[in-house]
Amino acid sequence: MIQRLWATLVKECQLLWRDRKGLVVLFVLPILLVFIMTLIQHEAYRSLNETGVPVLLINDDNGVLGQTIQRAFEDFELCSVTVYNDEQSSVKSSYVDLVASGEYVVAVHVPENATSVLRQDVKLIMDAITEDEKLDSTLLKQVEIEIVADPIARKSFIMAIGSGLREFIASVKTRILFEMMSTELNEISGNQNKLTFPAQDFFIFNEYYAVSGEDDVFAPNAVQHNIPAWAIFSIFFIIIPLGASIIKERENGLITRLRTLPGNYFSILSGKLLLFTIIGCIQMAIIVCIGLYILPQLGLPRLQLGSNLGAFTLLTIIVAISAVAYGLFLGTFFNSAPQASIFGGISVLIFSALGGIWVPLNIMPDIMQSISIVSPLNWSLKGFYALMIQNAGLSDILYCILMMLLFTAVMVCTSWFINVNRCLRA
Amino acid sequence: MSSPIAINISNLTKHYLKEQNVALNNLNLEIVRGEVFGLLGPNGAGKTTLFSILCGLVKMNSGKVEIEGNDIITQMERIKKIIGIVPQDIALYPTLSAVENLQYFCRMHGIRKSEITSLIKWNLSLFGLLGVGKKPIEKYSGGMKRSINLIAGLLHDPGILLLDEPTVGLDVQNKRKIMSHLKDLNKKKQTTILYTSHDLEQAEIFCDRVGILNEGQLLIVGRPAELRNHFQAGSLEEVFVKVTQDQCR
Ligand SMILES: Nc1ncnc2c1ncn2[C@@H]1O[C@H](COP(=O)(O)OP(=O)(O)O)[C@@H](O)[C@H]1O
Ligand SMILES: [Mg+2]
Repeated sequence: MIQRLWATLVKECQLLWRDRKGLVVLFVLPILLVFIMTLIQHEAYRSLNETGVPVLLINDDNGVLGQTIQRAFEDFELCSVTVYNDEQSSVKSSYVDLVASGEYVVAVHVPENATSVLRQDVKLIMDAITEDEKLDSTLLKQVEIEIVADPIARKSFIMAIGSGLREFIASVKTRILFEMMSTELNEISGNQNKLTFPAQDFFIFNEYYAVSGEDDVFAPNAVQHNIPAWAIFSIFFIIIPLGASIIKERENGLITRLRTLPGNYFSILSGKLLLFTIIGCIQMAIIVCIGLYILPQLGLPRLQLGSNLGAFTLLTIIVAISAVAYGLFLGTFFNSAPQASIFGGISVLIFSALGGIWVPLNIMPDIMQSISIVSPLNWSLKGFYALMIQNAGLSDILYCILMMLLFTAVMVCTSWFINVNRCLRA
Repeated sequence: MSSPIAINISNLTKHYLKEQNVALNNLNLEIVRGEVFGLLGPNGAGKTTLFSILCGLVKMNSGKVEIEGNDIITQMERIKKIIGIVPQDIALYPTLSAVENLQYFCRMHGIRKSEITSLIKWNLSLFGLLGVGKKPIEKYSGGMKRSINLIAGLLHDPGILLLDEPTVGLDVQNKRKIMSHLKDLNKKKQTTILYTSHDLEQAEIFCDRVGILNEGQLLIVGRPAELRNHFQAGSLEEVFVKVTQDQCR
């Protein structure tokens, strides 16, 4: 039995070695995919995650308002702010262009003398209150803060900035009012102790990612998403060479010889299935190595595997097994290799789109998210996300593993059934 | 070893699901141990169907087949060890070399490692293919492919050889090479050989007995010389024409 399994394994290796196109599909394409997709998505993710959304602040105001806004932007972790002021007038004229070119997602312009305008307004109000006059609202000037946004920026983000600015202005107004009142009060009371405005901010942004585990949480980024996603995709693409290889063996007289070899046909197939399972694991290993050692060289964040390497390995093996089972089904169900390749290829593309390989599921519409549960690639990806982003353990991915084992069982049983029936029909 | 019958086919009927015609109609045939039997018939006669049933690849509708006393349905695993098969299509991996193909089948038959290399060498040299053993099968000529296809069925030294049109599409030299090798095997090892063909001339030379199959019916069985005498014909071809005409009437 072992000798025969080994013999089949050797033969399959020889076959694969001769099948250069198959090798390209199995090893070169996945590597290319990982590089291309990670690099493409890295920019998008980075603008959201690590360095934040690029914001240009043109601060022409020399007063408190400009300073407050600048400080708030600098403290706000989801943004990376570039500040220009008075002197750099060349930038000022072209900030709309800078946003249009995509260099910044948002540009905010605080005009000259914004603080003094604010101060004057507050003074008018103060005077009206203290001197009990009627406020002449036509005398109030308005501070015009410009927000220039990239059309692709999310509306919610622009609105957040807008309302944030409104709050800054309000808080600065309050502060000026407070200061003026305290000066006025001091004049009246003769008190020399200047009241100071409480220094702390009135609002604090607290950004964090929704994850289950408390500690050791890794931020989702292009690497954390694309490495498992494209590894899974590549593992499932095994079905094309695997299906073709099963069909080719059946097409010519080979099946006659294989079926008259001692032992049953499935035991002969098992060598092939074993090899492709191993290949799936090798693909994962290669892609993980890229994430660990090569992507960081290109300035991308290093891949975090999570602390549960045992569960990671087990999940990889199970993903490979379920992909192989699907390939077995395709190779058994279809009668010609091109048919199987086309159906198989397209089905994996659909499964991968549904499964959140191309675009993470959480930004898909709800309906897609609920459809996605039919995709084995989705169960796989969820499992890897749990391990790599939420640092979960084996028990947390049990559901994913069970779903894939169920899928495997269905595929294998169906193939078995088709094979037995094919024999009877012929 | 009491009974001299190697293959016993009785009342074998087979019809494919979608076909209205029966592929094999109530066939009865006994192949004697140690003989070379030629099953002759035109294309579509049902030769491959019979071959496939004997290999356990196709299930029959009714009848009974025994190979060395083993029932084909219930004891196929034992039969697999006795028979060697050479299918009509080249049953080899086209991208692997002859040696790699043969190595694989040797290992699958459980032949000991130490014997494999010499066994393959010996077989290749018999057909003068030792020098090209490392080339992939797809680069071989038709005759070379057929030879390797034959060798692959002989590796485990089977007592019964089933061959489906082993020389189809070959030139005279290659035909003779293969047939005389089979004849040698039969003489030296008393291998029972059942082969199908539509080449009547060749059958006349090599077969101890022949059977004529047409449209799923076994019309006649006998020694070539006897048949010629019986039908007062100069060759098997004439016999064939006469019997099939009778069937048409
Ligand atoms: N797999 C199959 N499905 C349906 N009909 C078949 C199949 N194989 C053979 N037949 C039919 O059975 C008959 C006998 O075919 P076959 O045994 O291949 O003939 P031969 O080998 O003598 O040329 C033919 O009429 C053929 O069309
Ligand atoms: Mg045939």
